[in-house]
Amino acid sequence: MRLNVRQGFKMAFKSIINNKVRSILTMLGIIIGVAAVVILVSIVRGSNQKLREFYESMGTNKINVSAYQYNGDDITQELYDFCMGLKTLVVGVTPNSSYYGPIKYLTKSTDSNQEYGQPITYLGSDLYSTCNNYTLAGGRDICWLDVKNYNQVVVLGAKLKELLFDYKNPIGEKITIGGQKFEVIGVYEAKGGSGNWYVDYMCVVPYSMSRLLNKTTSMTEFTVKAKNAAATTEAITRITGFLEGQIDSNAGFFNVWTENTWMESSDEQNKMMSLVLGGIAGISLLVGGIGIMNIMLVTVRERTREIGIRKAIGGSRRSILVQFLIESAVICATGGIIGILLGYLGTLVAGKLLLDMVLLPSVPMTIGAFLFSVVLGISFGMYPAVKASGLQPVEALRAD
Amino acid sequence: MNLIDLRDVYKIYNEGYENEVRALNGVSLEIGRGEFVSIVGASGSGKSTLMNILGCLDIPTYGTYYLDGQDVGEMTDAQLSRIRNKEVGFIFQGFNLIPELNAYENVELPLIYRGLSAGQRHEMVMEALARVGLTERARHRPSEMSGGQQQRVAIARAISTQPPIIMADEPTGALDSKTGEHVLEILKGLHQSGTTVILITHNSALADASERIISISDGVIIDDRLTRGAAV
Repeated sequence: MRLNVRQGFKMAFKSIINNKVRSILTMLGIIIGVAAVVILVSIVRGSNQKLREFYESMGTNKINVSAYQYNGDDITQELYDFCMGLKTLVVGVTPNSSYYGPIKYLTKSTDSNQEYGQPITYLGSDLYSTCNNYTLAGGRDICWLDVKNYNQVVVLGAKLKELLFDYKNPIGEKITIGGQKFEVIGVYEAKGGSGNWYVDYMCVVPYSMSRLLNKTTSMTEFTVKAKNAAATTEAITRITGFLEGQIDSNAGFFNVWTENTWMESSDEQNKMMSLVLGGIAGISLLVGGIGIMNIMLVTVRERTREIGIRKAIGGSRRSILVQFLIESAVICATGGIIGILLGYLGTLVAGKLLLDMVLLPSVPMTIGAFLFSVVLGISFGMYPAVKASGLQPVEALRAD
Repeated sequence: MNLIDLRDVYKIYNEGYENEVRALNGVSLEIGRGEFVSIVGASGSGKSTLMNILGCLDIPTYGTYYLDGQDVGEMTDAQLSRIRNKEVGFIFQGFNLIPELNAYENVELPLIYRGLSAGQRHEMVMEALARVGLTERARHRPSEMSGGQQQRVAIARAISTQPPIIMADEPTGALDSKTGEHVLEILKGLHQSGTTVILITHNSALADASERIISISDGVIIDDRLTRGAAV
């Protein structure tokens, strides 16, 4: 006789509700497995995203150039002019030199700060902020004339501004860097977030101030910002060619590289991590599935008499098979849904605690986890269901 | 053509081994439509095996069984389950109700397997429950009912599909004599309304209520006679 699917579901729900404790224990394996998959994969995705954001805040498509000449000759202006000539490829170029030392404002000094240590003072061109993805929050940025006229001006990173000035407007105030007075002309927006505060614990002065702070006028490190990933590759070739013409290999050396490749390799690593953790969580799902099979086998044994009765009053092999399959599929699907809900919760909590971000599992993965648990239920329920449906009615009725 | 036509049927367990058991040892039997037949015998005589075969719960080792002209031995699982659903209603000694389901749901089960709509089922279930006088107990589970009430639920389940044959295996065996009589009255009523009733019992007093008594011993029929009450 035929048994329609709606009736099958009704019977399955009835039997699940009638055996609450057993059903919940059976679901537990699936719940934990699904929740583990959802949480682990989401965390890896979140940390990946976090890392990407970090790289992006550092600035993607950045080309690092180091050029050193033994006689101390400076190549800054030539490189600057050459790079700015590559208008289709390059958006900015700046020396990437720095000074590391205490900064003071009135009675406040970074010397006395135990928590953050000393900030970094960058010696940059007028395009420093463009090259390093800083945006102005107030005041003005360093300009070409500041560099040319040796103006003692400084633009503060958000963290350093907060430390020295709190909520006071710093524009026009004078701070002391390496014993020299600098006028604050601008402040950058925070870009690091609370996790990467150190990218905002800095300030920028015109690179011509190197004379005062580092006692040298020669710049050896540069950052070139290319328009996009493709332009990066092209610009590296051009700059390399230019430097080959400028620096005799007997009189100095140079190196040109980009951090884009780091990001790509970290993406690779994260994919691997997702696979490994997903795999481990998958194994726990598999164990959960075997638990389902075990319980369903016990269920079949326990309900042999019921199966006998059902067969005696007209239940066909197929209808018994469908009944037990639906039952295990419903148990797994219910477990899957609970697992997904727990997974969402766990992801939110773990995202907040571990990564300090609002992290949610991706929708395709959620649907995938649900479908996987249903498939798990059907495949692991198959053997017990076949066993149940194959029982002879007389034998089954004879069971206690 | 007879409703039931059993020709030289054997049911042998562990055939060829030392512990071979011949539960049925060459039984031929014809039962017509509308008869009220008792099959009597001591326990182990093979009467339950005979009922299982008559009810298509079991298949003979040898011999053929024609039910309503169709050879049961040739049938597929789906066809056999259709026979069990449509042609035969079983009443067991141990009631065999599903404990998780209430009276209504137990009676409804064969109708679900038949694929009827909820509306049709409701009508048929309530009618069957009314015939055994248990309408007000519909929502009770078997554990909340007495033995006699449980057996009446089982009878309601057997008759809900309005099958042409009712098979009752010691239907009063687990009941006290008063409730046993009540169950017998219901069976008599079914017979009068045209249903073929086959009663398996070792209780001769019960058997006397039927029209025909078939005695079985050691897997063979030793006696087949009409009772005094039979309308010849």
